[in-house]
This record gives sequence, C-alpha cells and structure tokens, in this order.
Amino acid sequence: MKLVVLMKRLPDLVEDLEVDDSGKALDAEFLKFTLNEFDDHALEEALLLKEATGGELTVVAVDGEDVDKMLYTALAKGADTALKISGTGEIGSTSHLARIFTQSLADRSYDLILTGVQAADDRDGQLAPTVAAMIGAPCIEVVTGIEHEAGKLIVRKEYSGGVLAEFDVEPPAVLGIQAARQTPRYAPVSKVRQVQESATLETVTLAADTGKSFDIIRMTPPETGAGAEMLGGVDELVKVMESKGVL
Amino acid sequence: MGNDILVVAEHLGGTLSDTTFELLGMAKKLASQTGGSTVAALIGGDDTMLSQLGAADLVVRVGGGEIADFNPEVHGAALEAVVAAKQPRIVLIGYTSMGMDLASHLAVKADLAAASFAIGIEAGDSVVVTSQLYGGKMNVTTDLGSGPCVVSVLAGSAPADDGRAHGPPASEDLAVPPTAGKIRFRRLIEPEAGDVDITAQDMLVAIGRGIGNKDDVEVAEALAEALGAAVAGSRPLIDAGWLPKTRQVGKSGLKVSPKLYLALGISGAPEHIEGMKSSSTIIAVNTDKHAPIFNFAHYGMVADLFDVCEELTEIVEEKKG
Amino acid sequence: MLTTPEKIAFILLVLVCGALAFTGFRRIFQIVGRGKSAPRTDHLLARVTRALVDVGLQRPMFKARPWVSLFHAFIFFGFSFYLLVNINDILEAFVDGWSTIGGGPLASLFNLLSDVFSVFVLLGMILLLLRRFVQQPESLRFNPAVKLHPKVAQGWIKNDSLIVGVFILLHVGSRWLGTALHLAERGAGDPWLPTASVASRLFAGMSVGTLETGIHVCWWLAMGLIVLFLPYFPRSKHLHLMVAPVNLALDKRTPRGELEKVQDASHPGAATLTELPWPNILDSFACIMCNRCQDACPAHASGTSLSPAALEINKRYFINEHAAELAAGNGSASLLDFAITEEAVWSCTSCFACVRVCPVGNEPMTDIIALRRGMVFAGEMPDEVAEVLRSLDEKGNSFGDSARKRAKWTKPLDFKIPDARKEPVEYLWFVGDFASFDQQCQEVSRTVARILHQAGISFGILYEGERSAGNDVRRVGEEGLFEALAEHNLETLESCDFDKIFTTDPHTFNALKNDYGPYAGASQYDIVHYSSLLLELLRSGRITLAQPLDGRATYHDPCYLGRYNGGFDAPRGIIGACGVDLVEMPRNRENSFCCGAGGGRIWMKDQETLVERPSENRIREALELGEIDYFVVSCPKDLTMYRDAVKTSGNEGKIEVRDIVDLVADAMGLGEEEAVA
Ligand SMILES: Cc1cc2nc3c(=O)[nH]c(=O)nc-3n(C[C@H](O)[C@H](O)[C@H](O)COP(=O)(O)OP(=O)(O)OC[C@H]3O[C@@H](n4cnc5c(N)ncnc54)[C@H](O)[C@@H]3O)c2cc1C
Repeated sequence: MKLVVLMKRLPDLVEDLEVDDSGKALDAEFLKFTLNEFDDHALEEALLLKEATGGELTVVAVDGEDVDKMLYTALAKGADTALKISGTGEIGSTSHLARIFTQSLADRSYDLILTGVQAADDRDGQLAPTVAAMIGAPCIEVVTGIEHEAGKLIVRKEYSGGVLAEFDVEPPAVLGIQAARQTPRYAPVSKVRQVQESATLETVTLAADTGKSFDIIRMTPPETGAGAEMLGGVDELVKVMESKGVL
Repeated sequence: MGNDILVVAEHLGGTLSDTTFELLGMAKKLASQTGGSTVAALIGGDDTMLSQLGAADLVVRVGGGEIADFNPEVHGAALEAVVAAKQPRIVLIGYTSMGMDLASHLAVKADLAAASFAIGIEAGDSVVVTSQLYGGKMNVTTDLGSGPCVVSVLAGSAPADDGRAHGPPASEDLAVPPTAGKIRFRRLIEPEAGDVDITAQDMLVAIGRGIGNKDDVEVAEALAEALGAAVAGSRPLIDAGWLPKTRQVGKSGLKVSPKLYLALGISGAPEHIEGMKSSSTIIAVNTDKHAPIFNFAHYGMVADLFDVCEELTEIVEEKKG
Repeated sequence: MLTTPEKIAFILLVLVCGALAFTGFRRIFQIVGRGKSAPRTDHLLARVTRALVDVGLQRPMFKARPWVSLFHAFIFFGFSFYLLVNINDILEAFVDGWSTIGGGPLASLFNLLSDVFSVFVLLGMILLLLRRFVQQPESLRFNPAVKLHPKVAQGWIKNDSLIVGVFILLHVGSRWLGTALHLAERGAGDPWLPTASVASRLFAGMSVGTLETGIHVCWWLAMGLIVLFLPYFPRSKHLHLMVAPVNLALDKRTPRGELEKVQDASHPGAATLTELPWPNILDSFACIMCNRCQDACPAHASGTSLSPAALEINKRYFINEHAAELAAGNGSASLLDFAITEEAVWSCTSCFACVRVCPVGNEPMTDIIALRRGMVFAGEMPDEVAEVLRSLDEKGNSFGDSARKRAKWTKPLDFKIPDARKEPVEYLWFVGDFASFDQQCQEVSRTVARILHQAGISFGILYEGERSAGNDVRRVGEEGLFEALAEHNLETLESCDFDKIFTTDPHTFNALKNDYGPYAGASQYDIVHYSSLLLELLRSGRITLAQPLDGRATYHDPCYLGRYNGGFDAPRGIIGACGVDLVEMPRNRENSFCCGAGGGRIWMKDQETLVERPSENRIREALELGEIDYFVVSCPKDLTMYRDAVKTSGNEGKIEVRDIVDLVADAMGLGEEEAVA
C-alpha cells in the first residue's frame, strides 16, 4: 500500500500567543512552531499500517522553519520518502494548503492519504476533507482506527459519547486521524542526526499562489478571565464551594 | 444565491443532536438579518425528527431509513444536492464528527466560502464570522464576503432552546443522488458500560494533561474521594490510557452538567468546553494565566493543581472530621 | 616421595587437565575479545600497581560486610601463600629427600607461615560456608521478580559455592593433615608447625605403612585435586581469584561521572552480550556472586526486578552455556532474554552504588546504560520517557514548558538577576530544569539568589539561553539528544564572560563537570556546587550568620554530588556553621542511599513490583535516628522527592525536609520569602 501523510506546523500552544501590531495576525516574534499533534498521530497510524501490511510511506510538508527537522524525524521513525514543497509563499488558509498538497501529489500514485483531523488554526475548514474533495476521493474525519483487509480499508470513526462507527472504504482515500492506536513514537535524536546525513529530502517547487483567502478583520485573545472571578487561594476556593452548597 | 440560511440536521441512533437546535436558533436570527428563511436539510431522517424541526420554515428531506446511518459519501452528496436546489446564502453545520465530514467537502464541491470553529456569525452586507482558534487562545474574526458560504459552528455557541419548536414544518423531498459507493457503513459500536456515570454526578473533579503523569491521577482521586465526587478528564488522558473512556468530557466524550465542575490542569480547548459549559459552577485551576479555560469558568485560580489538590483534600477531610 | 607410577600419573593428569583448562581459558579470552572496543589500556603501570595494592590490602572488600571481608582476607592471604606451598609440595613429591621439616630458619619460617595460614584458610572457609549454608543471609536471595538464568534459579550458585568450599577445605585440609602425618612419622612435633604438631598426636602409634599411605592420600587430595580443579575454573565463579585483579587493573579511569561515549553512532549501545564493551563482558568472569551490589541497589531495595548481581550472574551462566558459539562469534541472544528484564533496565537510578561497592571492579550500571542506548535508538522506551525526551528536544526542558518561561521564577525577586549573555559576571549560575521549573525548587532558587545578592556577589543566569544540561538524558540512553543539548549549552557558555560556573543541581553539576569535558574542547570550565560556594562565602565572611539555629538535622548525600563527585564536606560544613547538630544516617557519604530519582527515574512511573520507594526507605532511616528536626538536602530533585516521601509514608509533621540554603537564610535572618501575590 502506498501511504502519504500530510504534515503541517502550528504555533506551539504552550507559548503565550500575542497579536502583532496589525491586530490581525500572531506576533511572529513570540511564535515557536511545532508539528500539529494530530498530524503526529496520522504519521504514527501510517507507520503502524506500513509495519502491518508493508508498503511505502511518503511524508509531505510545506517548507518553513524547522520543517527539515520535522521531515527527517519522520524518516527516522520509518517513513521512506520525505517531500518538501517550496516556493509557495505565505499560506493563508486550509484550502490554500490543500491545493498545494494536491498539486504536489498530482503525478504520484497513492492508496491512502492520512493527515490530522484538524489543526488549531483551521480558519476555513479541515485539510482531509478539503484535499479529498479536490481530488475526488472518499474521506472520513475523526478516525481512531484503520485496518487493511483484502484491498479495502476498515475504518473506525468516533462520534460523541464514545460511540464508534465502522466503515468499509475503498482506496484511494483520505482519512483525518484523531488518534493513532498508540502514542506517537519518539525518534531518538541520534537517529534523526544520522538520517540527516544519509537521506535527502525530495523537493518540489510550486509557483506562488495566494489562493482564495478571506480577510481577517481582527484577532484578539479572549478577554482573560472574562467570565471567571479569580481566586487568590484555596481558602477562597473553599468559601466559594461552601456558598454554592457543595461543601 | 438567495438569502436563506440552511441548517444541516444531525442525528445519531434516531435522535436529533442538540447542536441541530442550536444551529436552528442561530439560523433564525441570521435569517431575520438577511430577510431570508430558515431551511433545514434532513438527510436520512424520519417523521419524528421532522416533527421536531418546527423552528425551520422549510425542511428539505433527502431519503429516509435506507440512509439513516451517517455515511460521509452519501450524506455529503445529498447535502450538495440540497444546496444546489436551494442556493442558500449561509449553510450552518455543527463542528461535530459528522459535520467535519460535510462542511469542507461542501465548500470545495459547491465552491463556497468557508469558516470553521465558529462561535458567532453576523450577516450584513457580508458574512462576518468569529472563530475560536489556537485551542481557544485567540478569537479570529473573518469577512467571508457576501456569500454563499458554509460555516461550521462549535457546539454550545447558541442556546438550543431558541431552535426548538414543534409542529411539522413545510417540507419537500429530494431524491438521494447516486454515489460511487466507495464508503459503506458497517455498524455502530456502543461504548462499554462504564464504572461510574459521570453525567449523573453532582460534582466532578476533572483533570487534564497538566496532571503530567499517570501516577499522579491518584492525587485527583484522593480529592474526589474526600469530596464525594467522581474523577473525569480531558481527551489526552483517555487517549493515553490514564482514565477509562467513560470518564471523558467533551466533544467526543460525554456532556456533563454537574453542580460543581472543578477543572484541574485543563487548558480549555473548544472540544472540551463543549462537554462541560453547562455546569452550574465551574472552577478552573491552571498554572497558565492565559489558559482559555478561565474564559469559561465562573471562578479561576492561577496555581499548581497539586498544591490545590493537596490543600483542598486536607481541608475537606478536616471538615468531615 | 611419590612412586614412579604416581609421578607418571600426576604428569599425565597435569597434561590432560592443563589442556582442558587451556581450552577453557582461551575461550574466555576469545569471548571477552568479541566485545566492543573500550579504552582501557592507557597507564598500564599505574593500573597494575593500583590493582596489586588494592588486592594485596584487600581494600575494595572492606567497603561493605566487614566480618565477611575479614574471613575472606584469611582465605586470600592463606591461598596466596599456598602458591609457595604448592610449589614446595611438588618438589617434595618429585625430588627425593626434599623436606622443609627440620630445616634451616627459612624453611622453619615457611613452615610456620604455612601452618598458620592453613588454619586461617580452614577457619575462614568454614565460617563462610556456615554463613552461606546455615545462616543463609537474606542478601543472597533475589527479589521474586528478578530474572534468573534457569540454572541460577535451580540453585547452581550454591552448588558452585559448595564445590569451591569443599575443594578449598580438602586442598588445604589434606595438606595440613599430610604435614601432621609427616610429623607423626618422625615421631616428634615441630615448634614451627604448632597446629600440625597438635594434630600429629592423633596419629601417634600408627604403623609406618599406614602413615605413609596416609601421606600419599593427603598429597593426592591436596595436589591432585588442584590439578583436577583447573578445568573447572573457567566455569566456576572461583575464577574471580584470577580475573578480579585483572578486572581491577582494567577499570575505567575517567571520572566516575563521565559516561563513555557511544563508539558507533549508527549502532549505539548493546542489545546482545557481545555488543557490550569488552570490559563489561569481563565483569561477568570477575563476579564472585556476592550480591553486595544488590544490597546497595535502591531499585532492588524497592522491590523491583533489577538486581545488578543477577545481571552479571546471568551473563556468566549464559556464557558457560554457550561458550563455544560465543567464542566463535555466534550466539546473539538479546540480553533482555536471559540477563535482565525490560522493567529492570528502566528501574536503574544510575546512582553508582553498585559500581562503587563491587569488590572486583564490576560496572553493572554501565551495562544498563548500554542497553538503554540500544533500546532508545530502537524506539523502545516507556511512554513517559518518550514524552519527556520529546519535550527536551523541542523545548529544552523536561517540564514541557515554554523555553521562554525558564527564568519566570525570578519574577518575584525585587532585583533583576543580570543576564550573563549580556554582561560579564563572576559567577555564571547554570540553574537547571528542576530549580527553574518546579515550584518548590523555585523558592529555593530565589533564596539562593537573595543570599548571593545580599552578599554582593556578581552572578548572572542565561535566561532562555539555558537548556537542560542533559545529565539524565544521557543516563536514559538518549546520547544524540544529550549531545545536542551539550552543544547548545557549550555554545551559549562560549559567548559569555564569566569566571566560574555554579549550580544548585548535582545532576547539572555532574554533566557540566564530567560529561561535557570531551565536548568542551579547549574551554574547560571551573564548576562548583553551590554548597562549596556558600561555604566559601561563609568562611570568607561575605555571608555572616547573625542568628545561628539550633536543632538536630540529618543530611542526605545526593548521588551526583557525593558518590560521583566527592562533594561530602561542604554541605556538612554549612550545616555545622548554621549551628545545627548533624546526626549521620547509617548510610552516608560514599555509602549514601539514592532517593530514587536519578537516571531519568523521576520522569517514570512507579514499577508494578514496587514495594517501598527508595525515598520512603530513606525517610524511615532518618526517622530511626530519633529526634531529628530537619532532613537536609542539597539537590532540587531531593527536595521534591523527600517532601513527597514524608507525605506518602505518612510522616508529615515528624520531620521537615529543607535545603541547605534555607538553613543559611534562616541563620542570616533573611526571613521567609514574601508571599507571592
Ligand atoms: C474531533 C475532536 C474531538 C475532541 N474531543 C475532545 C473531548 O471530547 N474532550 C477533550 O477534552 N478534548 C477533546 N479533543 C482534544 C482537544 O482538542 C484538546 O487537545 C484537549 O482538550 C486538551 O486537553 P488538556 O486541556 O487536558 O491538555 P492541554 O491543552 O495540554 O492543557 C494542559 C493544561 O494544563 C496546564 N497545566 C500544566 N501543568 C499544570 C499544573 N501543575 N497545575 C495546573 N495546571 C497545569 C497547562 O497550563 C495547560 O493549560 C478533541 C479534539 C478533536 C479534534
């Protein structure tokens, strides 16, 4: 089976996010990027599938800060090919990103494209269903389990309350991964460094294309503690609990 | 393009979801702004569902029992057909597991402008949507132009009561469009019955990734025991196997509304908030003063959850004698 | 003395047994040679001299079990002398008329020594056999979860002990009896052979023929047996008498706190026996299976399946079983299959107690590090470890916190700590992860800052330029990440202007002082632990203690300050200077007991086999001292470990865990830190 994992970087939410002077974007000075955690799950699920059924795994990402390391890490974990897309310019939306990914995959064959179920900056929609609609492939979001059986895929999708639905899916297909069957593996730095020396990243250069992106009017942090009355200590907390009759 | 607002009715196991009514309430408000009407798309639904969609001016029915079980391919094509037939200005879809399969698909296929993670929509000359991005750390307001557009709305963004009205509305039928059959529904798998029903508790001690370590779940258990509460948690803890699935609160977990929801080390991602925002009293403890959870809690405290747990457990135990 | 057929028989025996023994020894040589290379052949003269002195004085023995060590010394000195005795006995057998009895002063001295040493050996051996077979001490047993080679589980160590014990008793006993028979034959005792003379009386009046037969039987039992025993040596733990001195001579000579570098980056660590460095293979031949390392091991004491002794023993039994294949370069079973459980690999706290206490110079801990290196490279590690490593890789700290928040702990201070990246300072404070991010430790860090500020010391920190020093990263087996962290930190340090580095964290201290050495190139830094710095400030009068304290305290030596780096006296000096009475716990200084947090254990969950956490065990030890007010520590991890342990062991209020700097602050009258608003 030929597997493709689409990966993207996101601002690390552990950091304090600040808005820049335009009032419409995150202040780049305070940004630290990290792999979208759901994409990490998608990669893990792809690796597990590859290990179970054999096949070839390609990871794809758009160039940017630390993207090389992200791709080498995926290679160190067991991906066979890493594809870096450059020349795209600033990416403004999910649909823009989806178009870039589909273009870069245009002359490749694949059975299954995996990516994270969502990203924290999905302003205009999710990557998996957008890519799927663009290439005309079936797509399922919120996937927590994939099995490959006799040319078809058995896919588990999660609803609320822990209810799961099971589908048969005919490849080629796109799946948005919510959680891999196991915690995403860790790639030891020594291995990543070694891969960095021995492997090369494939690159494709696409023409800049700003895509259809809608104007951001403003970006604001939700007012801190908008609703919450801030308490100074556990004693105050106890008082609140008493006043609410729960203690 | 007309001025109508189209709502996608969502159902599972024969029941319409709360989100459907939230969206209907929202749609009615928007329709009054655009001067259009509120249309609901009921795909694979039945008459009982139809009778509950009284808030809509018109319900477009596509198929019935034969496509009752959600199928992204079939339901996606059906929705495309509805949109093609009705040409609404705004399509509202819940940001739910099913909604995620439909919204972006529709946006591409029907060439609609799109917004996700929405918590508020205004429809004037243009449609302006506020989305809660970055795990709830930023609100981003986008101008989608005049339309048509599709917006996926976070659950709990509007009161469901505004969208509940009985009496079967006017309805019309559309044929189920043919599809290639690349996705086939197999079955639903219900979760195994849980040890504790967290939806029936008066008090929940809810823990998130801030707990850091599987062993430290004990600390929360001790507090819960002292309080006579149950322990619930955010999704990452369940994914890591630190708590059973039956304890998960949120979008893909359970919706709870206890008297007291004590959120310890939970950042307050929209998917979590969805499951607990209707609790009577929410108290949040987090070391990060910018944690979005403080925007939803009634009371907040910037502190280490372990210190709070420990001190509180002691005080509660003392009070009990 | 021997008849001609006897002589021929003896020579034949020597030839056959010698050949067999030779094959055995050659195999050992080949098997050890299959190991990975390791730098152990420098300073050969110094190595040999030290080993001879150590062995000659039996020094490594007396680190533990003094009585047993004394009995061992009896046997050791006796056996050493018996080399001469054996030569003499062969001469006696083959050279007609050769005898030392009734000889000149030298012969008489020889006789006296052989007589006395015979008794020493017999006495020592009998006592040790009684200990092993009658007393059966707990320390010779393993935790139920410990992985044991099937033969070990069947009790083969005991069998081996019995064989060796009986051999020694027979060998020395027969020789001694033989002498008594000689004396009986002569019809008179010899004052130079006092005990044999006493024994000879038992045989007075026996016929010459009987005595002569007895003498021959005794000679064969003494000398024949030793030859017969030769081929058994390579299989027996008794081999230690030859390998231990060699092993001691080929010890690792670099600082204790410096791990050996990975040799082959594409294949780090070890999964199989022969992937270990050769000295680690040699260890199993030196091992006498005394379990002293197990006694000292905090992981074994807490009930887990880790026993450093079992590791060495299993290796040896595996080698015995597969010697031919291994010698030929085959036989690549995973160490996890026969030597140690996966749980045990992750139970090690890297406290160094096993290495320090080993009388034959073994380093079981480094086997575990090698295993971890291999496992981490293959991606096999507990989820919690993976999580922390990921955070260390991405954010430079183990707390998963933003790198930018590293210096957040300084905010409540009413002065700003200089940024050592921007201005020259005398002391560069390398704060470390725990002291920066853990809330309890942050308070201690602020106290350190306030004291130094008050004393007018020029010091600065690196703010977000600092990353974890990587001590525990290295011990968890993630060599690549350790190198990345070290390179980053060294680069940052390189750009700063300072005289000395200090840190409160012994783990950081060790990494900077020892592990960074080979990476730092020309810029070798001067690094001190804050205990030394504070003591120096006290002595020089830059800090004055206006309000000496009273009360009784005990002090816990952190592994990475004490055992690893010899920092025993400064913290004690500080405690004394503060006016507090110091009461030592039985396990102190070199023999200190680990808190259980080292080697990355602090990131991992308790093992399922856990019975009592090492930290709780230690608190129990402190409480057994009687009225103690303070349990004093000088390591951020210790602070959190022991405060936890006091609570989890239900001893809250009975003892207070305090950092040395808290004592200093109190004695200075600095007062409590203002509550943080
Ligand atoms: C389709 C879908 C469905 C989902 N369904 C759910 C769902 O049902 N339920 C759910 O919860 N999530 C759900 N999620 C996941 C959701 O997006 C978030 O990832 C998740 O809620 C985050 O959990 P958290 O708050 O525990 O972790 P984090 O976001 O990592 O937050 C941890 C918080 O702990 C704080 N903290 C750290 N240490 C301490 C300390 N010592 N003391 C106090 N505070 C501390 C940190 O400041 C941080 O704010 C879903 C996601 C998707 C895509």
